[in-house]
Amino acid sequence: MQRGFSFGKWLSTFILCFLFWLLLTMSFAPRELILGALVSGVTAGFAHLYFIHDDAFYLYNPVRLVLMGVYFLFVFLWEVIKANLSMARLVLSPRADFHPGIIRIPASEQVRSLYGLAAVSNCITLTPGTITMDVAEDEQGRNYYYVHWIDVSETDRDKAGEIIKGRMERWIGRIWK
Amino acid sequence: MEMAITVLLCIGLFFNLVGVLGVLRMPDVFTRLQASTCVATMGTISLVLSGVLYALSRGMGAGVWVKLALMLVLVLGTNPISNHALCKAAYQMGVKPEREMVLDDWKEDAEA
Amino acid sequence: MSGFLIGAIFCVALDFLLLWRIFKGPTAADRMCAADTLDLVSAMALTLYSLHSGRGIYLDVAMVVALLGFVGTVFVARYLEGRM
Repeated sequence: MQRGFSFGKWLSTFILCFLFWLLLTMSFAPRELILGALVSGVTAGFAHLYFIHDDAFYLYNPVRLVLMGVYFLFVFLWEVIKANLSMARLVLSPRADFHPGIIRIPASEQVRSLYGLAAVSNCITLTPGTITMDVAEDEQGRNYYYVHWIDVSETDRDKAGEIIKGRMERWIGRIWK
Repeated sequence: MEMAITVLLCIGLFFNLVGVLGVLRMPDVFTRLQASTCVATMGTISLVLSGVLYALSRGMGAGVWVKLALMLVLVLGTNPISNHALCKAAYQMGVKPEREMVLDDWKEDAEA
Repeated sequence: MSGFLIGAIFCVALDFLLLWRIFKGPTAADRMCAADTLDLVSAMALTLYSLHSGRGIYLDVAMVVALLGFVGTVFVARYLEGRM
């Protein structure tokens, strides 16, 4: 990861900002287009240092975008629906019967990049019942997630990781490495 | 079409109710945060989907449903970050969990 | 369709329930959790009302409310953590 200005990084952030502007205004009048280009140019100048890490056009790969759509429409939605139903049962039952805890689960070797780690921990947090509290790295270079789990049903850490993030992490490993 | 819109609306409102009841009923901060995720996921997804179907069936123009979908993407992208930050802040402030935790790996590793 | 109006009124009623948690919550983190949820619920109420009345400006308001709620929550969380 290198710091400092580079034109490729700025350009890819600029394209993203400009697409966002077009979606918000929904008009193609030349006045709006020029104003949008100015605003997104300035915004990209500030944001590209933090937004893009190594490969500038990493996010624009069409295979990756299609896989992302399939993942969010089917795999992720199914996990969210299952977790929501179990959370609804927990909240609406008259005597709440659950055992909270913070568990350390190992990340798989497939997901190495910062985008991948952030995507996995955001997906864990978005399923009701689990919240990622931290991501840490040990001396051998393996990553761990610390997850607050509302109903600890499995204290063995590998099996708990399989329950919490098994399918999601395999899909994200295909998309972001 | 009317049927699908109404069913999705009812599902979304039901999960909003579940999330809010969870925030009111759960014993401590961490479990309240877990319950409030229901509002951000299933409630928002169902309500926005019903709105998109309604806008498409009435022929409301592309601006409405694109804005609705954009709002769904923004909510799903930002809500986990704020939940994570609040959970970590509550833990480091020293809020005691109401029920004894089954296991607390973070505290053990911080002491080791 | 009047279902959207009923939904918006229901969301506003849920907002009042959350105000009770903000009033009562024992720690600051409890209050902030309830306030974050209140942001989302009131953004949804604005969205449903905009679909009922057919005025697009409420959609923009709802989007701004949701985004600013996120920014405020992250700031307060950083402050509670003691890093600001």
